[in-house]
Amino acid sequence: MTVPANEAAEAIAHVEAIAHERLAADAPEVVVRIENLSKSFDGRLVLDNVHLEVHKSNIVAIIGQSGSGKTTLMRCVNLLEIPERADMEVAGEKIFSGDQLLCKDLAKLRQTVGMVFQRFNLFPHLTAVENIMLAQLRAGVPEEEAMERAVGLLRRVRLAHRGMAYPDNMSGGEQQRVAIARALALQPSVLLFDEPTSALDPESTGEVLRVMRELARDGMTMVLVTHEVPFARDVADWVVFVDGGHIVEEGEPAEVLRRPSHKRTQAFLANFQASH
Amino acid sequence: MFDVPWSDYAPALWKGLQLTVLYTVLGFAGAAVFGLLLALLRLSKSRILRVPAALYTEIFKNIPLLAIIFIIYFGLASVGIKLGAIAAGSLSLILFYAAYLSETFRAAIAGVHAGQQEAAEALGLGRISTFQLVIFPQALRLALPGTNTFLVDLLKSTSLLVTISAAELMSVGRLITSATFRALEVYLVIAAIYFCLCYPLSQGLLWLERKVRAGIPLTPRRRRRFKRAAVLLEQEGVLV
Repeated sequence: MTVPANEAAEAIAHVEAIAHERLAADAPEVVVRIENLSKSFDGRLVLDNVHLEVHKSNIVAIIGQSGSGKTTLMRCVNLLEIPERADMEVAGEKIFSGDQLLCKDLAKLRQTVGMVFQRFNLFPHLTAVENIMLAQLRAGVPEEEAMERAVGLLRRVRLAHRGMAYPDNMSGGEQQRVAIARALALQPSVLLFDEPTSALDPESTGEVLRVMRELARDGMTMVLVTHEVPFARDVADWVVFVDGGHIVEEGEPAEVLRRPSHKRTQAFLANFQASH
Repeated sequence: MFDVPWSDYAPALWKGLQLTVLYTVLGFAGAAVFGLLLALLRLSKSRILRVPAALYTEIFKNIPLLAIIFIIYFGLASVGIKLGAIAAGSLSLILFYAAYLSETFRAAIAGVHAGQQEAAEALGLGRISTFQLVIFPQALRLALPGTNTFLVDLLKSTSLLVTISAAELMSVGRLITSATFRALEVYLVIAAIYFCLCYPLSQGLLWLERKVRAGIPLTPRRRRRFKRAAVLLEQEGVLV
């Protein structure tokens, strides 16, 4: 039996197309891709040719000493810090290439990337609900919808009863949970956390970590700079240890945190265990 | 005791009071706008903008208001720039008080925590929205006490405009005195009128400060928003 050549070619193309689709579906979707990232402050190199990938629904924990460059690394993702050199892609959009800023619309990038700060940085002149509504209204979400979403998010962080409170009248843990709700309001593809619990007492820390665990369970993609080594061990899918502007070690938490291979990581974790 | 026929002078006093209010409103509105501009210039990264604004502030803070009034009204007239009393008076008040208000505004804007700017940027707010929705409302709260003091001070300073016969309260007082020769009685009454303007004003402003500090919504729009949010949150409360 002979098959016309053109039909055979079509069939092969079809099979290939299916296989390709499969492959694309199996390959993890990369939400943040950072390559060759370098950054210096006043001539001091704080990030030296760093590479990092964050896959969808993964939680990447960045650990390291103060001044290691870990916070700067994270702040480059939403361009709060502008890199000197980098090839970066966020949610499928190229935002930086070489020494060129490609991102035309910073506002749109920052709606895609939510951020939670160490010191909460809620707007003190606005109530919890208004804090969560502000960016939505700015982005053109109608008032009614923005408010419903804000109330829904408050329920998600278990603070619906505090909706009309001002930040100054809330505990640190409550403020940080409102800050998480605020960062979620524009339905970002990835959330950045900059040491979200280091300004909190143990009880508040517990409340905030609980909310973060739930987000992780719901499949939120997260990058977090943290001192909470036990939390990183429990929740993170990938741990990155930064030292002197380099990623000196990265891998699954079980590997990096239990059997660190690099001397600097061993020293950092030994110090951490000694002090906790 | 009362020898001045006050009922005859009531219309003149009423006119004078209106002019005092007019000078206060024009002077304060102008000084607030110009003062904010100066404050923003002084907070700018560019030296070319910062230095002239700082120079202006230092010069006008260190010259008496009366000297400014004379320069604007008599001085400029002598070189051919003739301004009426209302224009010259308002302009003098604006130039003088803008320097002081700019100091208050600058401190207030600088007093807003740096993290606020960053949080607004991280939410995708542009420069203008960040200033308008995040920095300015907080700075306004910080600036309110100082600004209120200057407003009352400005109202009292309008009396200096008597020197250019600006037809405000003090000028009316001087006219009545020259007609009746009852200086003590006239100026006591004028002083009482100033008190009746300034005291409720400063009390009202204190009340406003307290409301703002307590976070009570002042605009109808925000009040409606509060009501709707309260209703929605209450429904939540039932479900929880």
